[in-house]
Amino acid sequence: MKCMLKLTAALFLYTFITPAAQAIPVIEQAQLANGLRVLLMQAHNVPMVSMRLTVPAGSRLDAPEKGGTASLLASMLTDHTAKQDYVAWADMLDAQAIRLGSGASRDSLSLSLTVLKEALGEGVDAFSEAALNPGWSKKRFALLRRDAVSSAQKSLEEPGVRAAEETAAVLYPAHGYGHRSGGSVASLSRIKLRDLQMLYARQFKPQGAVLAVSGDVTMKELLALIRPRFAGWKGAPEVTLKATPEPETTTPKNKHISMPTRQMTVQLSRLGPSRYDKAFFANMLLNHILGGGGFSSKLMGEVREQRGLAYGVYSYFIPLAVSGPFVISLQTRADQAGEALAVVQNVMRDMYAGKITKVDLDAAKANLTGGFAHRLDSNGKRVGLMSMIGFYGMPLDYLAVWGERINAVTLAEVKAEAKRFLAPKEWHIIEAGPIKGE
Amino acid sequence: MRRYFLFFTLFFISFSAQAAPFAKLHQADFANGARLIVEEDHSAPVAIVQIWLKIGGRDEVPGKTGLAHVFEHMMFKGSKHLAAGEFSHRIAAMGGNDNAFTSHDYTAYFEIIPAAKVDEVLAMEAERFANLSLRKNDFAKEIRVIQEERRMRTDDDPNSRMFEELSSVALRLHPYREPVIGWMQDLKKLKIDDVRAFYKAHYIPGNVTVVVVGDVDFADVKKTVARTFGKLKKRVVTARFNPVEPEPIGPKRMQAMLPAQLPMLAVTMPVPVWHPGKNDTQAAALAVATEILAGGRAAVLNREIVDRQRKAFATAAGYDPFSMGIDLWYAYGMLGPKQTTAGFENALWATIEHLRDNGPKVAQLASAKRRMIADEVFAQDSLYMRAKQIGMMESVGIGADKRDAWLAAIRKVSAKDVQKVLARWITRQRATTGILQPETHS
Repeated sequence: MKCMLKLTAALFLYTFITPAAQAIPVIEQAQLANGLRVLLMQAHNVPMVSMRLTVPAGSRLDAPEKGGTASLLASMLTDHTAKQDYVAWADMLDAQAIRLGSGASRDSLSLSLTVLKEALGEGVDAFSEAALNPGWSKKRFALLRRDAVSSAQKSLEEPGVRAAEETAAVLYPAHGYGHRSGGSVASLSRIKLRDLQMLYARQFKPQGAVLAVSGDVTMKELLALIRPRFAGWKGAPEVTLKATPEPETTTPKNKHISMPTRQMTVQLSRLGPSRYDKAFFANMLLNHILGGGGFSSKLMGEVREQRGLAYGVYSYFIPLAVSGPFVISLQTRADQAGEALAVVQNVMRDMYAGKITKVDLDAAKANLTGGFAHRLDSNGKRVGLMSMIGFYGMPLDYLAVWGERINAVTLAEVKAEAKRFLAPKEWHIIEAGPIKGE
Repeated sequence: MRRYFLFFTLFFISFSAQAAPFAKLHQADFANGARLIVEEDHSAPVAIVQIWLKIGGRDEVPGKTGLAHVFEHMMFKGSKHLAAGEFSHRIAAMGGNDNAFTSHDYTAYFEIIPAAKVDEVLAMEAERFANLSLRKNDFAKEIRVIQEERRMRTDDDPNSRMFEELSSVALRLHPYREPVIGWMQDLKKLKIDDVRAFYKAHYIPGNVTVVVVGDVDFADVKKTVARTFGKLKKRVVTARFNPVEPEPIGPKRMQAMLPAQLPMLAVTMPVPVWHPGKNDTQAAALAVATEILAGGRAAVLNREIVDRQRKAFATAAGYDPFSMGIDLWYAYGMLGPKQTTAGFENALWATIEHLRDNGPKVAQLASAKRRMIADEVFAQDSLYMRAKQIGMMESVGIGADKRDAWLAAIRKVSAKDVQKVLARWITRQRATTGILQPETHS
């Protein structure tokens, strides 16, 4: 159980990425003998530390018909442990102001910790206890599951939830991405404690896992706390992130979900780029110009600014291990839904046809590169970025070259990506709201 | 590497959770009534600029609700030197984000930008503040966007709709009874002349607090504000509408029959806000009592009602000591398919009254205080939250320099103080109870 470490030298030290000369914080890396990767950005301006442990136990591994398994496992791990029941555990965390969180997304399950520097030792103790000593109380499981079912039913009041559920289903009919990570009333009801234990036993392993840390701590201090607590943790996950199957493209569908609302939620979707897409940065710029760039985006300009049709209209893609969803969404008074959809499709058609200018591209580049420092200006954000870099195996100079990559994208490349993604006829359309004439 | 670490550590702000977690504030007041507050933090080359106005929903007149919030939209529609949309485009071009928010008590406009752009942004903010275009056609489009915003946030969300109604039922006089977004009936009648009159009366330098937090130098920012906001013509500031809410004379109840999936029950009642030096113990004890009831993992409401008695699947409570005049204290429970509103309501009051009669345990009280102070430290991690806290405390009349005094007041709260405020303020007799009842279709 000797925990040898390979302390890799920090890869990028002090780099200039834009003419504005922004300092890129150093990512320090270490690896425990059990395979756990540790990434750290030091920041000593606030006496606190944030960290997140990410493992490949996301909702895409939920058994068919048992959507929500990973999410319930995440809740169970932070609810109590083998050593402490939920009452003693909660009292202890509260007394030390230890903020412990957990959650599951499609690719990963994560545990997170935010703690005062002065309580870092107690914080790491609790964090490792939650991760490595699950309590599996049957009574607590039954209770957490029942409350998750109620919560899932309550969330059916939200058109966004209904649209997201249907979007996942049409995009991924035979894939683990085909349900919302939180699960549904029906799927949560089918989950047994044993399902959680199996997911944990198969996937909750140090190899392929990443611990990202930001805050008032050095690598030496951090490792002194981490090593003894995580040394006994061994093994590799049965299913690695790389084994995620590529989803098949499905025939575009139009679906309507009847809801007693005044507005129609209109959601368009198709398969988008993965985290490893060769044109990832061109895709980022394409989305920024389309509907990811807030008030400077074309969708916001046409739908809201020019026509007053919606409060919010936006686009995004979720880069996952394989093709993730590419989504365009808006809400408008139900009788205007057709008009708003036509405006969106016109914007797509124009961009598909190559109507993207150098001015559009330069503005998107300026906004993204100029805002880079802001992407890194809190412990929470730094932990998020490092978790992504570590979990998806991005190079450690990812942040250092991020601005260069953005600036290197050409107009021709963005137009090629628009041809690849923005043909309106290739998009599913989900509407949630009153049936016409109601 | 060496240079990088210099960047991060030279400007290390020295504080621990025992001492106050706040960095030093720099303040400047200008002859026309505008105020500047700066908190320097050189840990990253970014800054946040927030322009706070002591103007919000409470400054509207009956029949014209939603007017203060209209500006949150119209301020982006052009001014003498900035075309419609140009403000946001310029902020985007410098790599920034901009937005705004409105409450009953204030309106704030903010930009998160590279620190080198602070001067330019302050000049742009002062320009639109002084020379807003307010064109009829822009308003005609934007009021439709605002109606969509109301449909999205309130009309199509049964919980929001219930809370909107509950606030109106709970209060007799205080402006917290009107929704900041405005009633749809009023939004449909607002005219551009209403907007222009509101602008003329309220967008004046005496209502402005400029807050800048980040990698800036106070002396530089002061010079910039002196020649921008500081140069605006002085105008008379009128007293704000802040009536004394009559003491409730008995419990009130309401039901909202809406297309919800599951019921919810909420109680609310007017309680005092913090007046520094006057009611420190009372306001801090209300905050600590609320943290014991609803904060942390061991929150009493959750443990008793969700975990032990199974009368709800989620509970919450809230108190904002930094409001104006009063706050509406609230608690609510989300009910599962087999849980009843009566069962939850009884459990809620029994739990509150148990804490009132027995007081918090020593460990419980200490734990709540430690979390509240730790949360202030965690909040220092976000430039946005830091600026927001400063601007809010200024705009409601407490003063940003009172942040330390608030933590001191929290540290002094005793178990008896908690019992006393629960007995005086959080009672069935003073409460308005609202029930969200799913509509049944025959």
